[in-house]
Amino acid sequence: MAKVFIYPTTSLILSDLVARFGHQPLSAALQVRENIQTAGLESPPLQITPEDPKKGLKYAAVEVPSGVRGRMSLYGPMIEEAEAAVIIHDADFSFGCMGCARTNELIQFLLRKREIPILDLRYPRSDEEGVEFVAAIKKFLEELPGGGV
Amino acid sequence: MSKVRIAQLSCGPEYSGVQNEIAEAARSVDAEIFFPDITLKDIRSGFDMFGLDVRSPDLKLAIARARALVEGTVEADAVFIATCFRCAEAAIVRNELRRYIHENSRLPVVSYSFTERTTAGTLLTRMEALTTIARRRALLAREVQEGITMGVDSGSSTTKAVVMRDNQIIGTGWLPTIAVLKSAEDAIELALKEAGIPRDEIQAVGTTGYGRFLVGEKIGADLIQEELTVNSKGAVYLADSQHGPSTVIDIGGMDNKAISVQDGIPGSFTMGGICAGASGRFLEMTAKRLGVDITELGPLAMKGMSTMVPMNSYCIVFGTQSLVNALAAGSTPEDVAAAACHSVAEQVFEQQLQEVDIKEPVLMVGGTSLIQGLVRAMGDLLQTDILVPPHSQYIGAVGSALLASGFIREP
Amino acid sequence: MKEYTPRYVGTVTKYVFVESPDMTPSDLAIRAYEISKGVMIKETCFGLQITGSKEEVDQIIARLREFDPSHIFVKDRGFPPGDPRRCRANLGGARPGYYGHEFEISLIRHVSKGIQELPGRAPDQPVHPPEATGPAGLDARKLQKIIESQES
Repeated sequence: MAKVFIYPTTSLILSDLVARFGHQPLSAALQVRENIQTAGLESPPLQITPEDPKKGLKYAAVEVPSGVRGRMSLYGPMIEEAEAAVIIHDADFSFGCMGCARTNELIQFLLRKREIPILDLRYPRSDEEGVEFVAAIKKFLEELPGGGV
Repeated sequence: MSKVRIAQLSCGPEYSGVQNEIAEAARSVDAEIFFPDITLKDIRSGFDMFGLDVRSPDLKLAIARARALVEGTVEADAVFIATCFRCAEAAIVRNELRRYIHENSRLPVVSYSFTERTTAGTLLTRMEALTTIARRRALLAREVQEGITMGVDSGSSTTKAVVMRDNQIIGTGWLPTIAVLKSAEDAIELALKEAGIPRDEIQAVGTTGYGRFLVGEKIGADLIQEELTVNSKGAVYLADSQHGPSTVIDIGGMDNKAISVQDGIPGSFTMGGICAGASGRFLEMTAKRLGVDITELGPLAMKGMSTMVPMNSYCIVFGTQSLVNALAAGSTPEDVAAAACHSVAEQVFEQQLQEVDIKEPVLMVGGTSLIQGLVRAMGDLLQTDILVPPHSQYIGAVGSALLASGFIREP
Repeated sequence: MKEYTPRYVGTVTKYVFVESPDMTPSDLAIRAYEISKGVMIKETCFGLQITGSKEEVDQIIARLREFDPSHIFVKDRGFPPGDPRRCRANLGGARPGYYGHEFEISLIRHVSKGIQELPGRAPDQPVHPPEATGPAGLDARKLQKIIESQES
């Protein structure tokens, strides 16, 4: 079973397909859950405190906006953990965790720098594309270490 | 009293750890933050129709939510726009949304760029102003002072008090702020003495400025109000420009305000307070370095040419260094004074005045408006004649006294 | 800042979406209650939220998937169900993630189709996923020809 970074990190479709085909999707929810379930100082809604953008300095310099650094404090560790990634490129309506275009560019860049297997595609717009979309993801996942359900 | 509902249009606060600070600031003025409820279809159409093709999904969402507010499909009392400091994409959206809402609705709007260091305290005055405008339109509609009232402006640098009777200023007091309460008491004494009125004849009192709560509680004020709405009111009252649009610029000791006013009520405003280089403090330091009183700096600057002195820094420390170097290299005190005025005006112009729409008349108020060199420099930058109303240094105190007359109880 | 004491520590919450011609969210809920064994289940407009230990939740989800494998979709959720920090009633509007779901649900039928077709595909059949990037720009020579043809 490989840890697969999904982009958008909030995607229902990718979360489902990666788990369905036997791997562990690395989604935003896991990191949010860790925040929500850890005691500390109260900072609703996401339990991201002003300390988190400082942790994000590991991934982006101080002149980078706090929202980018705060998001990177969520995603940076996930990118480091990832053994593969599936990236949907036309994820224009993913808000919140994926709401900042600059963060999203940085996530993609850091994933590519890791030289892990990456599958690039876009959302299917027809049944025919849907079939190819699912088949491609399945094939990609099967070829990963521990793949093949 | 029902809560004032402030619609939040934003990108990034939840991820900067400051969303709770925004909510807390709103709560402390009995308001609540909410996120306009729209559908995915609304997001698509709202964003497409607005026509600003940004990449960040949360900015698209903010644009569509702004549209819902302007069209009235979502109701709100006020709007708070917040995006990350140093994000160019968000800065463009923030400005355009502020302008769009200001021009197309009656909703008061304030925009702010935050960092992870932003606290509820920083946001308090802005939230208070938003709720005042939403909640107290009737109070702010007052155009004439009645009875005998007093206003106290407890500012970060100076404390001002004014006594008014039947729409006339009859006593003033002005002192540097040392101990907040003591300075207020002394300024009040001065104003009462000049007015020739004993304290117990005052029928209502208003306070404003940084020390408004402390002073207001101590002297039993009827109205304790932030300086954004009070100064706007005072400015248009003293300039006799109570109807139609105007722009109020107040360069203070600790922060600057730029307020776009319509019929005496702020429509949109910004408040800056990160850099001392853009404040009255810089001019005080310049005066000290030149060995003149602050009251002499203005006339001195009027005789000088700012372009004769190289100023490469906006920082109060390095900026002062530039002036010292210029003096050492033979620049005249007149030119140095003019350069200092130009530097402050330019920073306020670049940082604050880009975020409100400048509509004439442009009124400069507060103590710094008495420094003619600064007013001239601002006029040059804005390419307009700036109006400094009489008693402009007492603007907050006058605004407070004016509004306080709404609290006079019938005998 | 106040101290924060988390609730539901050690639990996982998962969304179960159903987008099916044969099964409504309430049908799914009834099935889920039958096998829930006390695990927390919350019915929503799109399906369910299930909260419990990872093993319990995974077991229930595996059983639920069997009812309609190509129309049931699952993902993790960071918050427990009904959390006031994400609740629509408290925010005034939907949490941001809601719109992302709304968008994906609008095209998920194509994914369902893909899942249904999979067993019929030869294992070595080449795949042609929807391409991430658009078609390449026009060749300069072609462009030149077009310009020339317009000018003549």
